[in-house]
Amino acid sequence: MEKYLLRNIDNPDSAHLVEYVKAGGYKALAKALEMKPADIIGEVKNSGLRGRGGAGFPTGMKWSFAAADPKRPKYLLCNADEGEPGTFKDRPLLEKNPHLLIEGMVISGYALGAEYGYIYLRGEYPAAKDILEGALRQAHEKGYLGDNVLGKGVAFHLSVHQGAGAYICGEETALIDSLEGKRGQPRIKPPFPVNEGYLSKPTVVNNVETFANIPYIIEIGADAYSKIGSAECPGPKLYSVSGHVKKPGVYELPMGVTLREIIYVHCGGIAGDRKLKAVIPGGISTPVLPADKIDCPMDFASMPKHGSMLGSGAVMVFDETVDLVKVCLRATKFFEHESCGKCTPCREGVGWMRSILERIVKGAGTGGDIELLLEVAKNIAGKTFCPLGDGAASVVQHFIKHFRNEFEEHIEKSKVGASA
Amino acid sequence: MITVTINGKKLLLEKPVTILDAAKRAGIHIPTLCHHEILEAFGGCRLCLVEIEKVPRLQTSCTMNVTDGMVVWTETEKVVEARKAMLEFLLINHALDCPYCDKAGECDLQDLSMKYGPAAGRFAEGKRKHPESYDDPIIVRNMERCISCTRCVRMCERVQGDSAISMVNRTSKTFVEPFSGGRYNCEYCGNCLTVCPVGAIMSRLHKHTYRPWYIEKEVNTVCSYCGVGCSLTAQVRGDSIVRVVPEMEKGLNKGLLCNRGRFGYDYVTSPQRLKTPLIRKEGELQQATWSEAFAFIAQKLKEIKEKEGGSAIAGIASARCTNEDNYVFQKFLRVVLGSNNIDSVAGFAFAPAQRFFENIFGQGVTANPLHGISRSDGIFITGADPTTVNPILGLQVRGASRKRVPVVTLGHMPGLVRFATQRLVPQPLTDTAVLAALVTELIKRRPLSGEKPAFEEIIGKIPPVSLKDAEERSGIPAGEIGGCAEILSGMTNPALIIGRDSVQSSRGQENLLLLAALTYLLNGRIYLLSELPNEQGLVDMGCLPDMLPGGRPLAVESFRKRYGEFFSTEIPAAPGLSLMESIEGAKAGKIKALYIMGENVAYNVPDTAFVKEALSSLEFIVVQDIFLNETARLAHVVLPTLAWSEKEGSYTNLERRLQHVRKAVEGARSSGSMEDWRIIAEISRMLGTEMKYSDAGDILAEIAKVSPLHKGITYGDMDAGEFLWPYKGEPLRHDVSIAGIEIPEAGSLLKKPEKEALYVGIERPLFHSATQSRSSSALNSILPEPYVRLSRALAQRMSIADGDSVAVSTSAGTVELPALLDPDMPEGMVLVANNFADRGVFRVMSWRMHAATKSPVLDGMEATLRKIDRKTAEVSG
Repeated sequence: MEKYLLRNIDNPDSAHLVEYVKAGGYKALAKALEMKPADIIGEVKNSGLRGRGGAGFPTGMKWSFAAADPKRPKYLLCNADEGEPGTFKDRPLLEKNPHLLIEGMVISGYALGAEYGYIYLRGEYPAAKDILEGALRQAHEKGYLGDNVLGKGVAFHLSVHQGAGAYICGEETALIDSLEGKRGQPRIKPPFPVNEGYLSKPTVVNNVETFANIPYIIEIGADAYSKIGSAECPGPKLYSVSGHVKKPGVYELPMGVTLREIIYVHCGGIAGDRKLKAVIPGGISTPVLPADKIDCPMDFASMPKHGSMLGSGAVMVFDETVDLVKVCLRATKFFEHESCGKCTPCREGVGWMRSILERIVKGAGTGGDIELLLEVAKNIAGKTFCPLGDGAASVVQHFIKHFRNEFEEHIEKSKVGASA
Repeated sequence: MITVTINGKKLLLEKPVTILDAAKRAGIHIPTLCHHEILEAFGGCRLCLVEIEKVPRLQTSCTMNVTDGMVVWTETEKVVEARKAMLEFLLINHALDCPYCDKAGECDLQDLSMKYGPAAGRFAEGKRKHPESYDDPIIVRNMERCISCTRCVRMCERVQGDSAISMVNRTSKTFVEPFSGGRYNCEYCGNCLTVCPVGAIMSRLHKHTYRPWYIEKEVNTVCSYCGVGCSLTAQVRGDSIVRVVPEMEKGLNKGLLCNRGRFGYDYVTSPQRLKTPLIRKEGELQQATWSEAFAFIAQKLKEIKEKEGGSAIAGIASARCTNEDNYVFQKFLRVVLGSNNIDSVAGFAFAPAQRFFENIFGQGVTANPLHGISRSDGIFITGADPTTVNPILGLQVRGASRKRVPVVTLGHMPGLVRFATQRLVPQPLTDTAVLAALVTELIKRRPLSGEKPAFEEIIGKIPPVSLKDAEERSGIPAGEIGGCAEILSGMTNPALIIGRDSVQSSRGQENLLLLAALTYLLNGRIYLLSELPNEQGLVDMGCLPDMLPGGRPLAVESFRKRYGEFFSTEIPAAPGLSLMESIEGAKAGKIKALYIMGENVAYNVPDTAFVKEALSSLEFIVVQDIFLNETARLAHVVLPTLAWSEKEGSYTNLERRLQHVRKAVEGARSSGSMEDWRIIAEISRMLGTEMKYSDAGDILAEIAKVSPLHKGITYGDMDAGEFLWPYKGEPLRHDVSIAGIEIPEAGSLLKKPEKEALYVGIERPLFHSATQSRSSSALNSILPEPYVRLSRALAQRMSIADGDSVAVSTSAGTVELPALLDPDMPEGMVLVANNFADRGVFRVMSWRMHAATKSPVLDGMEATLRKIDRKTAEVSG
């Protein structure tokens, strides 16, 4: 497939405006500024684009909610707080193709009537910050940003805000609170950000990759775009593959490519030609799949039917040598560390699961521990304020569901150890 | 209409409310922890999860609104299980030290765990450790008990507006901490204590001294500190108040208190309380019996009255005494002693300001309910910082500001710096020029309504002051003043909040006229700040030299006659002397005897040295008080009276709301102290006028007969709820009486100090109130020492750091105080409080009385500052 999102990626100067323009950049912006804002929103709606942050909400629908709100000013936020373990798909866009993001945001801002945009950037991406700021300067100098974009009388101002390392700030309302200078914690919804977001004004928050798709939609039109990949959620998709594959990395593939194809065709199969044991298909919070369940199309609509979720498209591959109980513990430690503390089940329950897993791994597990783990996970699932707690519970539930024997082995060993 | 079904009960609702509220209306209880009725929803504890048909997940009933056709179940197996799970989670890191925790017995978590929770937890690992913090004198923090409900943080930030505390850290390591780290250094309202559902934030004052179930009685009464009159409940055990808590649903404060109300009640049990009558013998105050004291007083007063006439006797009433006390006191002066020389500190600013406005707008013009402030569409404040003078009123302003109601402040108000839309901080003595410019601008912008043509004529005669002239005088850019006029002109029914400094000024008359004009132009409602609990009561009870009970002018013969007939005596026609005139009269030998009920004139009136000298030249001084204060030490007879918590009566607050003050404890009564009115009645009897009152109710019944304004009132009316102006009575209806209003000259509006100088003004600290609070060990532990507030810029120029000793000198004297640097203060001012023995601002203020308002003139007192070098002081010391 022809690359779009990463099309200039092999050029070492791809982040530079000159190179971007040379490769056809900012043409979509010029085209969009000739269109009516409502037509752009219509085009995005018709394209079938779904948000690439993980939830897969139809972008055009989100936009039309914000566009319908009469409050002014409106804000456009880019969620670049890419913090989930295994997920690094936005990083090449931010570091190698920043102008694609900027172009996408200017078009979006124009479509929504938003004059101000912020890129909420993961605190641990210092290189991306410098690159983005350089790109913003260039774009400003050349009139792609500012009070009068391309002389069309459209204003759009964009700046970068660096996060401080909290995973929860990738949740859009926590991101907004953090941007406002508050403690980053999710807000009660409704009101939704499209009506009362940043500074209580209508706000659209989209993922980096989502914005990066916008110029393409404008460029080739909704019809052509909607024919790429899966019919239900079309478009190119970035998959970040890590773990025991021969060629880990970020791959741009059409939506709906199977997990097997990603691992065995694009990534060259399992490193050392060992046996595959398990795959986490969409970032650490998505349910783990055993080796025999990887013939699933990787898109938002299909994955739930196959027992998992597309999430951010971050594929983590584990071969036969991996102790999955330890993986489960590591993931749970992450969720405990990142629990914002707002709601009871996530704040207290995830730490409890971690302590049970820890004693199992340490060889101090007891007979009832698996049941207790499942019980705690059940008490968290569906009862937390935001999806972070659900994710933590789901990780434990699915590791036990598919690999219960490994947990039992650990506990069995502890019994032997104890009696010896 | 919205139809919602909860647990099978059908409910019809007009407006969407939360499921929690709807359930409450249906009589269905849903347990909660992070929810609190006066805080915005949070949705964190997850205890209120309910099941909604057709919704897959359980939903928090505190955050979700009902929709038409919604079917909710609150006690299904799924809900009950979730609730149990949440309680089990909460107890993972909650110290189970209930047997030791003060909260046990009134702890929400304990109650809920008993009712819904699992009997045993399954968490086997260790709980988090967090040492209890005793860094603060008032508040103990035990973060092992914190359940991260954030009620305290939301209270502090969103209601109190202090933003002193925050959640710190993430995950189960989350806890609450003040930004200062150790001590809270906050406003100490203690409203966080009210909302903490567990024992995480608790008062240190009664730590480990009692358990909630030891409380023997709860008495609903009214705070004794300021003119707001917050409702509160005194919890009593063994005849002592163990704790004061607000009443959530009742009163105008709706569950909020300030530091003084919540923590300052302990002055009533101070060991310094007077216990027996004292009579001066051989120059010394010596213990005496009540009958000795009564006989001595009666004999002396009789002598003086016979020899010099009633007009040689003056009385000073008290804004801390009840209406009943004050009513009896003025009756004693007028009927028994034949003197109209009765006044109080309410005569300094509150009464003259009210009279000025009432003459123009009619009686009752300042009787506006407090909650109107947060509901108004604009606020203008001048003359004092409401957040320190009347903290709960101040919260109304902050609440309005949070709702983006424009707030304009004229003068430096530290508590509103972050809340004012526009702050006008003029150079000293130039606020009048700014006010005049605002009025000038508003006349241009707002058409006159024609409602009061006579007053409109006066407004028309006020000399116009240009923005440029105001800028030149005040140092505030013309654009800013003009901008404020623009903001003000957009208001349709604003609240105008006026403090004492506007009145106690050399330009007091001008300020009042300009404020009246502003009120008229903006269709505003006036709120007069009042530092003391019963200033309004003093006015309404007739404790003024020219006013009879019910606000009836003494000058009107028919009123005089009516009262005279009621008491079968003749009320003297000549108006009496004001408080300041009485003191001058004492100095001049015109006044021979002074009867002081609950007022510390030797401290609370400017130029302490002058006042003491004047008092010392009197032939006879009687002081009734609960403490042997500066004034009592000069008296010939001192009589111990009952404190606020020991007697029945009523206060009238600054909204003119009548409220019932209830006896909570016997207290000093058991050592023989009496109500102020009882002492007066006894002396009256000995002077031949029987006052037959067996309790405060008898006095109220008489007031209800004598004062047309208070016609038919009873304590039952006050207890029944909001008892607001004009009660059941007859307010005084009269036409605009503008005869006395002088039109100021342009020169007086534009007056500006000839040379640049430093001026000393009155600081009103949040933590103290006149001299009562200095007997509260709790308030002293928050603020043990007075200070001088000065601008940071000035301090830097003089190399003064926070806490350095500074001498403030004026022609009247010198006080030495530690410095408090304020970045927002104007440079030409320093402020000194008047709350601490020997170091009050009135020591350095001169004796100046305004000829028209009879108020003390407290501005324009030039001062010099000197940094005290410790080394030199040591050498010389």
